[in-house]
Amino acid sequence: MKKVLVADDKDTGRELVRTVLEKAGHEVFEASDGEAAVVEALRIQPDLIILDIHMPGLDGFGVIEKLRREAAFLHTPIIALTASAMMGDRERAMAAGFTGYITKPIRLDALRAEVERLLA
Amino acid sequence: MLLEKRFRELLDAAPDAIMQVDAEGRIILLNRVAEDMFGYSRDELMGRPVEALIPQELHARHVEHRAHYRQQPMTRTMGSGLALEAIRKDGSRFPVEISLSPSESAEGFRVTAIIRDTTERRTAEERLRKVQEDYTQRLAEANAELEMTNRELERANRLKSEFLASMSHELRTPLHTIIGFSELLAEKLEGPLNEKQMRFVQHIHKDALHLLELINDVLDISKIEADRLELRPEAFDFTALIAESLASVRSLADAKSHILETTSNVPTAIEADRLRVKQILVNLLSNAIKFTPEGGRIGLEARVQDSFVVVSVSDTGIGIPAEEHESIFEKFHQVGATTKGVREGTGLGLAITKRLVEQHGGRIWVQSKPQQGSTFLFTLPLESAERKNQGA
Repeated sequence: MKKVLVADDKDTGRELVRTVLEKAGHEVFEASDGEAAVVEALRIQPDLIILDIHMPGLDGFGVIEKLRREAAFLHTPIIALTASAMMGDRERAMAAGFTGYITKPIRLDALRAEVERLLA
Repeated sequence: MLLEKRFRELLDAAPDAIMQVDAEGRIILLNRVAEDMFGYSRDELMGRPVEALIPQELHARHVEHRAHYRQQPMTRTMGSGLALEAIRKDGSRFPVEISLSPSESAEGFRVTAIIRDTTERRTAEERLRKVQEDYTQRLAEANAELEMTNRELERANRLKSEFLASMSHELRTPLHTIIGFSELLAEKLEGPLNEKQMRFVQHIHKDALHLLELINDVLDISKIEADRLELRPEAFDFTALIAESLASVRSLADAKSHILETTSNVPTAIEADRLRVKQILVNLLSNAIKFTPEGGRIGLEARVQDSFVVVSVSDTGIGIPAEEHESIFEKFHQVGATTKGVREGTGLGLAITKRLVEQHGGRIWVQSKPQQGSTFLFTLPLESAERKNQGA
């Protein structure tokens, strides 16, 4: 059983991802903002993190910047989740250290495939 | 005596002041215009040095000029004459133009001066200059105003695009939940649904996806209008992309029992933004499917002509009247508005398609008659225009 941390300021968004991942047999932890995501990540040492980019306070870019400074998180797969669909956003996310990129609204199969790819 | 009278008449008939001075610069002859011009009587001027008619500060220089002229006498015509200032008896000054001609006679050296009061011309010139200045000033003001309006328009346009982009982001967030959970329910992983419940969930899912499509269109057009749509050209197999595009509309076509036919004869790879070209193809194909009654025939043909790929998407649908062949590519224009047909979508699809084709350096047009189907044709350069510009 892999540990997955889901950070999203919208509880419905977290529940959706949690449901899909739990059905796929993973253990899911939640964080409702950037600061909480950093604290949770350090505490549980997840195998995969799914980060909403747009969160009030510390956003997804802020979280990944903090985490990638930690030796333990140098290679942890981190998926960016965003409702923005502007060109160049994906490049920006990849340059910031994200290993995956999914746009909202998610298609469940796309989410499942991306998660399995990164956990393999 | 008669000769002198005639001479006097001739002199006084001249429109300019005429004067003659002797070698010492004393006035020895003048006509009536000269009297009027300077405000002196003939008696007052006869025998006076000509400097009496010149402002005080120029006296010394004038005496010098005269001496110089005495040594090198030559005729100066009015056009090349001196532009000077003269002074009247009452002390008022006025601009004059003077032409000189020397003569040597038994009585000695003489200079004849013809003097023209140029006040009126100066005034006219001044007025003209003023009009010109005025005009220039007004033009500059109008330009400044126009520039400001332009800047305001640009700003408004940018704000509008930013608003649309942020709206689109805000709209996608709740759609994420609606689409995700309805998909989850339809998968029945959380328990069985009866037939009716399943149908309802599918309605929610389908229309949520449609809404997403509309939002994507609005975002696209806002990006295009903000000129922020960047193409990312890459070399790819065009025939493979056609197959991919057909696959993504096949379920739509099957639902209306359309036959999809395709011939592609594009042997080389083309260089373009693959995703955007797919968007063009899917847009045209789904329009064809949408506007063709059940059991129709949708054809996609691609071939190379010169340095372009020419693609045609034809259908056996309701067709488009000639007067709409241009306007269908405008924003929010829908053929359904005048032709009895299907009305769904944003009315932005063809506007976006046209902009995408043109940004690639191609063009798009339609051949159609009502009730006889439509054929949309577009061209794409084989080589990306951007790459070509870089000379690579």
